[in-house]
Amino acid sequence: MSDVEEQQKNREFKTDDDFDTEFFKRIENRSNIMKCIQCGTCTASCESGRWTALKTRSIVRKVVLGDLSVLDDPDIWLCTTCYQCYERCPRDVKPTDVIMELRNYATKRGNISPNHRAVVGYLKNFGHAVPINDEVRKRRVELGLEELPPTAFKYKQEGDDKDLKKIEKYMFDLPPVKEEKKGEEK
Amino acid sequence: MVKEHTFAFFLGCIMPNRYPAIEKATKFVMEKLGYEILEMERATCCPAPGVFRSFNKFDWMVAGARNLCIAEQLDADILTVCNGCFGTLQEINKHLKENEEHRIQVNEKLKLLGDYEFKGIIDVRHVAEVLGYEVGPWGIEDHIVRKLNLKAAIHYGCHFLKPTRIREIESSEGPTIIEDFVEALGIESVRFKEQLTCCGAGGGVKAYSGDASMTIFGEKMKNIDEVKPDIILDICPFCHLQFETGQDYLNKNKECNYDYPVFHLSQVLAYCMGMDVDFIGLQYQMMGRDFIFGGEDVKKEEAI
Repeated sequence: MSDVEEQQKNREFKTDDDFDTEFFKRIENRSNIMKCIQCGTCTASCESGRWTALKTRSIVRKVVLGDLSVLDDPDIWLCTTCYQCYERCPRDVKPTDVIMELRNYATKRGNISPNHRAVVGYLKNFGHAVPINDEVRKRRVELGLEELPPTAFKYKQEGDDKDLKKIEKYMFDLPPVKEEKKGEEK
Repeated sequence: MVKEHTFAFFLGCIMPNRYPAIEKATKFVMEKLGYEILEMERATCCPAPGVFRSFNKFDWMVAGARNLCIAEQLDADILTVCNGCFGTLQEINKHLKENEEHRIQVNEKLKLLGDYEFKGIIDVRHVAEVLGYEVGPWGIEDHIVRKLNLKAAIHYGCHFLKPTRIREIESSEGPTIIEDFVEALGIESVRFKEQLTCCGAGGGVKAYSGDASMTIFGEKMKNIDEVKPDIILDICPFCHLQFETGQDYLNKNKECNYDYPVFHLSQVLAYCMGMDVDFIGLQYQMMGRDFIFGGEDVKKEEAI
């Protein structure tokens, strides 16, 4: 068998199961995705895509087709939300919002990196995505500020954790870590 | 009607928990300019638009609305110092004012978090916009006691101006609000290649892929290094963190040799308005620790 034939044989073709036309209809509520003419202004303006594999135009196309593989695509997590595509899109597709929606769906399916899981944990425990440390507590005192800022965490330290308890209970519920994904995630 | 010349001071995460000197400087500046600054007790993370909006947009709106409600109860507009906090709170505030369906849904879930109801009576402001347009370079002249003489590479960041149709501040392709303002402080803005690009930290990328984040940032630093500014001037603690830790990373891993001091607009302005240089907090930062502000006294006034 020639190389070409070998490649043809091993090539994965998409089947009907990979497409879900209902899927993008829900995304459409938020953006004008059907107006996309694939001009590529988004990819050309992309500040992350210049250095990474993120190709916004291709992601938008997959969403239009209802290709669900896009939800497993790690590239959707490389968008820095700089909004350059959003600003320049001549069809007002709002690609940044599309990527945000995709991430929401990916998260529901459990496609969320361990680092991002940790950030959610910080919010639930400390009320901050970036919690304070001993060094900064010291600096705050030296600067004449309160040792702890008057945020929910300060009240938790003082024994009043009702705010953070509620946030922990009701906010940002994440699906459990997928078994087969363990170890292979970045 | 909200209280005039009064702001509910939204701290966020990185400013109070990493760069408290920016908090100190912002308070100093705003109070000297005659604004009353109110503490927002029990506030949380805004929550960060790059990460939390990616995970669950509805919960992101609810948690943001909770912070907005705290300011509504104080009857004051919110002052943010960070592009991320500004992005989140300004966008949620505007969206919930306009979208009744979402407002009802968000208010329903807010009940679970305590005695909160989003009413839509306040605005969300960024300190750079208040300084640039409300105080203005014309108004700051009377308040400064020292004038600097240095060149700055100004970094706007992304979420201060974009999306322009939501922020409604000015064009994102050629903004001048910070340049115009700092000129009154004696700071010359040096233009550099790709000046308005992202620092590479946002969108959850810094947490997701440090490599990608540092590649984007490395290019940014290369362009800044070409024009050899005296300082890097930002208006966002997250960009600030990226410029600080990023230079250190590039020096250690990519054979670079950067040592540019990084300042938030509030820090530079606080110095010009007479704050003691120890409170500017350069001694707590990683880069450019030998930097000396210098500058000339404009008129005599007691420093704190």
